[in-house]
Amino acid sequence: MLNENEVLKIEHLSIQFGGLKAVDDLSFSIRKNEIYGLIGPNGAGKTTVFNCITQFYKPNKGTIEFRLKNGGSTNLVDHKVHEIIRLGLVRTFQNVELIRELSVLDNVMIGAHIDFKASMLEQALKLPRARKEEKALREEAEEILRRLDIYDRKDMLVWGQPYGILKKVELARTLMCRPSLIILDEPAAGLNDVETLQLAQLIRRIRDKFDCSVLLVEHDMRLVMDVCDRICAISFGRFLAEGSAKEIQVNPLVQEAYLGSKEEEHA
Amino acid sequence: MNKVKTQLNFKALFKNPYVQFILFGLVLSTLPLLSIQFSFIKSAYITTVGVALIYAIAALGLNLLLGWSGLISLGTAGFMGLASYISAYLTVDMGLPFEVALLAAILVPTFIGILVGLVSLKIEGLYLAIATLAVSEILRKTFEEFDQFTGAFSGKSAKFPQLFGMFQLDRGSTYWLIVFILILVMLITYNMVNGQIGRALNAMRGSEAAAQAMGVNLLKYRLVAFALATIFASVAGVLYVHFIRYSYPSSWTLKLSLDFLAMIVIGGLRSIYGTVLGAFIVFAVPDLFLKQIPYFSQLSYTLNGILIILVIMFYPNGIVMIFKDIRLWVLKLLKKGDRNHVK
Repeated sequence: MLNENEVLKIEHLSIQFGGLKAVDDLSFSIRKNEIYGLIGPNGAGKTTVFNCITQFYKPNKGTIEFRLKNGGSTNLVDHKVHEIIRLGLVRTFQNVELIRELSVLDNVMIGAHIDFKASMLEQALKLPRARKEEKALREEAEEILRRLDIYDRKDMLVWGQPYGILKKVELARTLMCRPSLIILDEPAAGLNDVETLQLAQLIRRIRDKFDCSVLLVEHDMRLVMDVCDRICAISFGRFLAEGSAKEIQVNPLVQEAYLGSKEEEHA
Repeated sequence: MNKVKTQLNFKALFKNPYVQFILFGLVLSTLPLLSIQFSFIKSAYITTVGVALIYAIAALGLNLLLGWSGLISLGTAGFMGLASYISAYLTVDMGLPFEVALLAAILVPTFIGILVGLVSLKIEGLYLAIATLAVSEILRKTFEEFDQFTGAFSGKSAKFPQLFGMFQLDRGSTYWLIVFILILVMLITYNMVNGQIGRALNAMRGSEAAAQAMGVNLLKYRLVAFALATIFASVAGVLYVHFIRYSYPSSWTLKLSLDFLAMIVIGGLRSIYGTVLGAFIVFAVPDLFLKQIPYFSQLSYTLNGILIILVIMFYPNGIVMIFKDIRLWVLKLLKKGDRNHVK
């Protein structure tokens, strides 16, 4: 069961594709207001863990307990993929999944999809409730854009914006649902050194200002070591080690997974 | 000073999309009056333009499906035809009021449309196109064979609509009814695509994964897209049969479904005015002008093909974008003129 200060607890998670065990008996937990990193060499199953948490994949075994906003908890495996965001858990994608033909503001507004109470008929006829909701949520989206310093681009099309901006827009979209846990899939992919540094600051700022936890999967060691409170290393779908950035860096198992064992080097 | 202010208000008023829609409707509805005033506007033009507007209604539905939601359908003609026969049968053979017939003629095809939407979760792209084509062809074959209901090849006749059991419309006033419903459909489409529903449909087209992660229920919105497209096609079918007053199986072939596709591609994917423009280009222009020229009347297929190629090459977002370019061009010219003036 979930401890007092935990928002997400994964226990004995396993998923198999044919004969391949992509994730094998993995357990870890994330605390409140924590930035938690999930690292591992290529093909370690990081993104698969992500997809299991967000129910894009249904795990074969294991439970994923998640803290609800009202204090209770639920097993995410019992929910459909489009219901996850309603619980307060929202994700980004490795290759930035935005709608090119829409403006920056409209893309952020997609994140408010679940907040609309007005029925389709009310919206089709633009009755007062639909009008009010649209206006209030639009103001909220503008406020988030302002906080992320991209307000001046709100009416531009997403198509053609630089990659760093797209990442920010995607982050803004996740913030629309007032999440308690944001999970970021390789947020530093495709960013240069300066942008990565700014991203690290942004992630910390989001955690503080929007009062949420962050789980990130990352290749970029600088970002992970810089920003994460705790890190979990996995390899071939299995748990290797957990601890602070320093502990992980000196852990022999992790070094072996990334760099190969000493015997191999000699050979 | 005061004058400037009222002028500005006028400008703001004209920029309001709702005012624009209503003005557009008013312009369209002057046609019957013009045909009385000026002899060069033949009254037959009313029929052609009226049918073009009816097609625009169905094409708007298809645009919601293909343009906004990224789902294809080659079944528009079949659904439109089904609605036309149901309305004709209920008003003529059963003697039911127009409004009841309209409702029934929307509900039955929409039910079938929703079933197709259920199928669309499993198949996509070309396969979905073939599946919808199959539904449409089954319907067309039914129109040919089920003759107590459809009159088979001799067709089914209907009357101009009678509203609320009191107002018997004639051709001109049915045309006005068509304009009124078109504007209503345009307004509803505008409201929907610029709100939560439109964003959900856009998200579904752009990235299914992102849509799901943002809480968009794919099944629900696919059904919504198919239901809307079929409702619009059904409304168009009912208006058609009560305007032309005949429905033949040969009207509801694959050619018409392809024409709808041509209308939205040529006019403008995801553009409301573009769809209406497309309906005029694909249907009204050949009917009004090209028929006068010998040898050209049979060439509408070829012309559509050439137009589609040209549009995709030069205006991938539809001919409606030409107006934007023209506006920029005129503004540029005006600016130049101003500068010369100052010199």
